[in-house]
Amino acid sequence: MITRRIFNSLLLGASTLAYTGVLARPAAAQNTQLLKVAVDSLWQTMSPVTGFATSSARIYCNFYERFTVVDYLADPNGSVVVNQLAESFERDGAVWTVKMREGVLFHNGEEMTAEDAAFTLSDERYRADDAYEPRGATFTEGFIRVEAIDRYTLEIETQSPDIHVPAKLSSVGGIIVPKAYYLEKGVDAFGQEPIGTGPYRVTTFRSGEIMVLEAFDQYWGDAAPVSRLEWHVVPEFAARMAGVVSGEYHVMVGIPTDQEAQLASYDGVNVISVPFSSYAAVAFNTLPDPVDNPLVDARLRYAMVQAVDMDLIVQALFGDTTFHPAVPFNFPEYGEFYEPDLQSNLPYDPDAARALVAQTDYDGQPLIWHITRSFYPNYETAAEIMVAQWAEVGINVEMRVLDNFSMVYQRPFHLMNFGNATSFIPGDPYQPLWMDWNPEANRSRADWKTWAPSADYIAAGARFNSALTFEERFTAFKDLSAAWQEVTPALFMWRQVGSFAVRDGVTWHPAGSEMRMFGGYLSLA
Amino acid sequence: MTAQFWLVKLGRMSLTIFVVLTFTFIALRSAYDPAQAMLGPDATQREIALFREKWLLDRSLFEQYLVYIKNALTGNFGMSFRDGRPVVDLIAERIPKTLALGGLSYLIAILIGVPLGILAALYRGSALDRLVMIFSVVWFALPNFFLGILMILLFSLTLQWLPSSGSTTFLHFIMPAAALGLSLAAILARFTRSAMLDVQSKLYVRAAQAKGVSKWRRTLFHALPNAAIPLVTIMGLMLGNLVAGTVVVETVFAWPGVGRLLITAVSSKDMAVVQALVVLIAVSMVTVNLLVDLSYGLLDPRVRSRT
Repeated sequence: MITRRIFNSLLLGASTLAYTGVLARPAAAQNTQLLKVAVDSLWQTMSPVTGFATSSARIYCNFYERFTVVDYLADPNGSVVVNQLAESFERDGAVWTVKMREGVLFHNGEEMTAEDAAFTLSDERYRADDAYEPRGATFTEGFIRVEAIDRYTLEIETQSPDIHVPAKLSSVGGIIVPKAYYLEKGVDAFGQEPIGTGPYRVTTFRSGEIMVLEAFDQYWGDAAPVSRLEWHVVPEFAARMAGVVSGEYHVMVGIPTDQEAQLASYDGVNVISVPFSSYAAVAFNTLPDPVDNPLVDARLRYAMVQAVDMDLIVQALFGDTTFHPAVPFNFPEYGEFYEPDLQSNLPYDPDAARALVAQTDYDGQPLIWHITRSFYPNYETAAEIMVAQWAEVGINVEMRVLDNFSMVYQRPFHLMNFGNATSFIPGDPYQPLWMDWNPEANRSRADWKTWAPSADYIAAGARFNSALTFEERFTAFKDLSAAWQEVTPALFMWRQVGSFAVRDGVTWHPAGSEMRMFGGYLSLA
Repeated sequence: MTAQFWLVKLGRMSLTIFVVLTFTFIALRSAYDPAQAMLGPDATQREIALFREKWLLDRSLFEQYLVYIKNALTGNFGMSFRDGRPVVDLIAERIPKTLALGGLSYLIAILIGVPLGILAALYRGSALDRLVMIFSVVWFALPNFFLGILMILLFSLTLQWLPSSGSTTFLHFIMPAAALGLSLAAILARFTRSAMLDVQSKLYVRAAQAKGVSKWRRTLFHALPNAAIPLVTIMGLMLGNLVAGTVVVETVFAWPGVGRLLITAVSSKDMAVVQALVVLIAVSMVTVNLLVDLSYGLLDPRVRSRT
């Protein structure tokens, strides 16, 4: 009998063959075409980890490569991970032996070796006090030794056995950098003149203006489908729209939800919406800071969840393009962890919400909600509806729309907006449930922290992290989720979606939020 | 022009620039924490601490100020937080684009605004005068960004005559230069008209008329030079409007100039770039004011004799 797990294993194997190609051929001369993309912004640096942001991560895949990579052609939800620059992984207890692909060249002509791979994950780069890209420590938590054994083999030792190392290396932390060039340039200059092993090489990068990529002739895999790829920064939506309608640009990003139908109505323009690996959310400040914070009472937080008809709001703002996850962390991208029929403990019920409010000492004082202006599409609109629905059950929330996160993070506040990414271990709830909420996470330690993890949560987290089989991990996941819901430090609103406009003649499949312009993702008429 | 005149002028200029530099420094350093803004919402506390250390943001405000002033005096305005490049280099590579766009806009403003103002004054009260005034009010009232977007929707989206964004060909210049130049032309037309009306009633113009000098000759050689002082003043002040307009228009049309750099730097909290650009704008404005003052002497011998 073929079980779900056997099916997933077969799918993973098939994807690996398809992606990396037993049949991969050396890059031949690609057709000489230019593809122009209009983007709302380009992040200021392309240093793989320091520069990790929405507007950089979506284009990294074209010039950087990782140990492993998510195969969105196999599963658009992003739960399938295949090898990319790593050829194989073998685990013996807490030590992983990784065999790297041979004959892979960086864009400067140097061969990629295990030395580069080991440096990529090294203390020097991620975990030392004066690390080049200290955020990398988050992506390599538990790594205690990374060492090149020979030219194409390295060992990764973790504090305790960790079955998720290959999947973790599909994150930006696993983007392999050329050691010598990186050290020669330094992280800032590397971010301006990035070098990777991907199908395109960066020839021009001016963050406020343009990035030009050209097909890399010595790419180890299939040749890039276009010879030149230009990313133009066009901040104004009207200009981007005019550009794609008139044919100046082949692809554009950043379409306001209410403009999608208008854009799709033009001849030669197709609009594609895809789910991203991130959920828009509101965090409740559960701490006694400010001292009179009524949200320290969990019943008031429960009431706030039950007072809001999130399904209706999401339907009104996004139609059928996305959904509200009724149960936190029960997300479809988690494959075997996902239970479609699971019911919420706190369903929409204004009467129950009123009753809960009555049980608390809450006296109607304004609860301040800090929101970053225009950071998440439709967030402010949703917030206005939520404020009205909270008012109906006697909860007085005051929105404060602020210009940036540094202002949002300034206390005092009772609620704040945030986005919880879900993709760090594809197909596994590690990131949103533990990585972003654990006792060491920003949400627990930063100046703007909003919760203190409970003893139950920490204990379940320990079991969750040490689990070596799916059954153990699934049980711990349920406990961990229950402990989180006991506190309810946040309300997940909707899965974030992105829309792209594409001209006729360009067949393109977005890979979640990534814009892969190669392989099976892009073809031109 | 005496040595004292020059000393006073240069002293005032230096003081203005120093005040702007100090105010900008204190305002920016007090307003927000650039570390969080630069590193994004997911940055760790350790990463933020390292960033502050790297850019001396962990030192006292006074200490940071001394370092900044010392470097600024040698022309070093620091490095961009965004991409680790010298600020001076960043600005230098954007200036040509802004000068090209600003120069063309200014030319449009003068070539359209001054003749229209003269015509309106010459035919005061006529349909032409009213038409010029209507044009002036409408174009002055329309905000740059709105006008820019309207142009994009009409000429790029509907008619598909002109490119919507970018700066590579002459066609790319047309819409942004028109958006900037026409609103300045509207201001200039109104000022030219009122300046010309002022001088047309003067005795020397009437004397020229009595001597049989033709209408156009009277206008160009008798009235216009005497109306030039208020016009030169407003042209100098218009440069300030041009800078403000450039910031908006460059963003709308994705024009890679200094204005857009300023917007990007402000939104990403790249303090070093914002400070340098504010100082650059201040220097530009005081320089223009000085040139306007000097031009009074060239245009009016009475001013020359007083200085």
